Amino acid sequence: MTNKEKIEQLLLNVQKPARYIGGEHGSVVKDKSKIDVRFAFCFPDVYDIGMSHLGMKILYSLKNERENFWCERCFMPEKDYKQVLIDNDIPLYALESLDPLYEFDMIGFTLQYELSYTNVLSMLELARIPVLAKDRHALAPIVVAGGPCVCNPEPMSDFIDIFILGEGEEVNLELMDLYNEVKKRGGSKEEFLHLAAHIEGIYVPSFYDVTYNVDGTLKCIKPNTDDAPPKIKKRVIADFDNVFFPDYFVVPYTSIVHDRSVVEVLRGCIRGCRFCQAGFIYRPFREKSIDIIKNETKCLCEQTGYDEVSLSSLSTSDHTKIAQLLKELADYTDLENVSLSLPSLRIDNFSSDLLERLKTIRKSGLTFACEAGTQRLRDVINKNITESEILSTCKTAFEGGYTTVKLYFMLGLPTETDEDILGIAELAHKILDVYFETPKELRGGSIQISVSTATFVPKPFTPFEFEPQATPEEIDRKQKLLVKALRSKKIKLSTHQDDTSVLEACLAKGDRRMSKAVYQAWKKGCELDGWNEHFDFSKWREAFDECGLDMAFYANRKREYDELMPWDHLDYLVTKSFLINENKKAHLAKTTRNCKEGCSGCGINKSYGGVYCGK
Amino acid sequence: MANNLTPKNMALRVERYDYRLVFSKKGRARFISHLDMMRTFSRIFKRARIPVWYTQGFNPRLYIMFPLALPLGTESDVEIMDISLTERMDSDELMTRINSAMPEGLSINKVTEPAMDHKDIAASQYNIRFKLKNDKDTCGLFKDYLSQDRINVKKRSKKKGLIDIDIKPDVKLLSIKEDDGFAVADLILPSGNDKNINTSVLMDGFKEYAGEEFEQIYTTRTKIITKTGENFT
Ligand code: SF4
Repeated sequence: MTNKEKIEQLLLNVQKPARYIGGEHGSVVKDKSKIDVRFAFCFPDVYDIGMSHLGMKILYSLKNERENFWCERCFMPEKDYKQVLIDNDIPLYALESLDPLYEFDMIGFTLQYELSYTNVLSMLELARIPVLAKDRHALAPIVVAGGPCVCNPEPMSDFIDIFILGEGEEVNLELMDLYNEVKKRGGSKEEFLHLAAHIEGIYVPSFYDVTYNVDGTLKCIKPNTDDAPPKIKKRVIADFDNVFFPDYFVVPYTSIVHDRSVVEVLRGCIRGCRFCQAGFIYRPFREKSIDIIKNETKCLCEQTGYDEVSLSSLSTSDHTKIAQLLKELADYTDLENVSLSLPSLRIDNFSSDLLERLKTIRKSGLTFACEAGTQRLRDVINKNITESEILSTCKTAFEGGYTTVKLYFMLGLPTETDEDILGIAELAHKILDVYFETPKELRGGSIQISVSTATFVPKPFTPFEFEPQATPEEIDRKQKLLVKALRSKKIKLSTHQDDTSVLEACLAKGDRRMSKAVYQAWKKGCELDGWNEHFDFSKWREAFDECGLDMAFYANRKREYDELMPWDHLDYLVTKSFLINENKKAHLAKTTRNCKEGCSGCGINKSYGGVYCGK
Repeated sequence: MANNLTPKNMALRVERYDYRLVFSKKGRARFISHLDMMRTFSRIFKRARIPVWYTQGFNPRLYIMFPLALPLGTESDVEIMDISLTERMDSDELMTRINSAMPEGLSINKVTEPAMDHKDIAASQYNIRFKLKNDKDTCGLFKDYLSQDRINVKKRSKKKGLIDIDIKPDVKLLSIKEDDGFAVADLILPSGNDKNINTSVLMDGFKEYAGEEFEQIYTTRTKIITKTGENFT
């Protein structure tokens, strides 16, 4: 039996088998005898999640544009199929060729969230590739990783040969070209890594030595070879308007989380909310022109056959020509019977005429990411949304018949007091009052306000990287306080599980020693940690203990401004002094204007293409 | 072929033209579930720019009908799908346009008018190519299995859960032969609204009878048969 026949027989007994066999419309199949470099793009979570991810779609077609490269997809199997693979001795394979991953030249993981780290190890093991980088001696396969978590990749440094910092559109091809060169002349892995370290954005963790102080903090991080730079700079696409964007997607058969066309309208964010990592690591703010966006929308809709297209960005409303863009897009989507969805749109400043056309906004209801319950605390975190804005938007919405409001908050923010917690309840009750003040003839039947809280996780490269996370006991107390303060059946509270936030904080701010704990936890069976039903915090605690690491040291400790951070040798362009200054302002509850109102000098050079930089 | 629809408001009356497509579902496409077929075809039609008719009303939906469900993992030469278009299209053109937008494994073989009613469907013919593990005499055992006085198998019923039934009267074996270690059987089982028996019911029963798992099994629906014994497609 061929590998394919074997797999097909096994699929007769698993859940949603279409996820494991490839062959989807848009998937790229090439003749492998004509390929120089084979790349397996691995998303360390299940198909349903990974196939929804835009970055993967971009890099997949980018690499496949090149005739001599072949990029394939691979995802984490669900538990049932994982067992089937093990029982039948089938190594993890890529979906296009169904060839095992160990036959590939490069294996690339995208690290989108910390709780997917153990899945990387599981996938390597399922693929029969040594999990530890030091146990992989040959040139192939090289294991690389990119994505937002790579801004502090230290807890993954034992497993990954090369980290790719920043935006991948250029550096991925440079890396593959170099690989091809070294492969052709029969070079070694060592040789390749040394050459790769010269490419901007490439971080080879084994080329850096880390020493520690007696109190456990970092003493020094420095390169152990002349080939590695002391600081590694992230990559940025300066000419964003002309950046590669795919004109096709792989269209899955089974339903996935985001099952639609997606067009990227802008990158970076002008706002600088102090808790938000994305707001800092994706700087500067760049946007695509209307014609390019329209053209990309049209191409994708035609190729995929999706009846929905969504605009992707951190904050769509910040496009400089947003009203015109939406009008022109709606002209196209109306004509083609495609619905347009705008997940991150602030609806404050649009004409009701335009709102009427954007029907999908109505469907999804009203959502506010308030993040904090009082104006003082919103100023601390630099979240630019006021109570009167929220209430007046609600008023208009209730008069238009809306009946659901979703409010998102964080608990455990720096400087938070009980008053801020009670402010959450107060705000929810005020919204309720606005509903009851709305004339009965106008408002919809029954109001439902849902309040969601998540625990604040301090992240690297934000002004809050110095801040401790509130302890689980504190969070628990705050949650109880909030429960007591919410007095209406119309308000529903849901809170996020604490243990995962603790682990997230540890992994986000962890140093190299934490690689051992990740390995240990995985050995104990931790995987799919992002899924409540699989998450086992006690195993993680044991793993940390066995490695002599203290979770509180990582999660709940305040860092001084002059402490060496595990990611201080990585340069995400925003300067440390800017972050420190922002942190100081936070403690004084002083806000910082957004980039559009005027540049605040975060350290990004004009040459990176930012619309407002230096203005 | 053009049906007038019920809306009293003349402005809402849209003429619709009904077509029956006969298509095959082979290879990897056999893992597309019945539920996912709807999603898959709505995208295919959109890509192929077929003027499909949407159900009228508050929440318009693409009108696609699959009268017979095909179990996940089974291939077919004769799947049926009824669709409606807002304008008349030449059958050949319709077929070519759709086929050019189809993913691997799906292909339209015939476009007809929906002459016969779905209620006329009584049975399906299957070709099953299978082989037990451990070099068992698959063909011989299968013949023995079918020649029992009663073929008792377990069938899942909506109301009663797993029930024991005798399907001896329902199985009609047309031929069986041995080929390269495989047993290859052509047989007929009831399908449709009145009575439906999936091949898995018969084959799971066989696994139990033989006390052995399959090493490989390939099932293909090859014909759909009406109550009067005619070919439905
Ligand atoms: S340099 Fe100025 S405009 Fe550019 S991202 Fe930083 S603060 Fe914003």
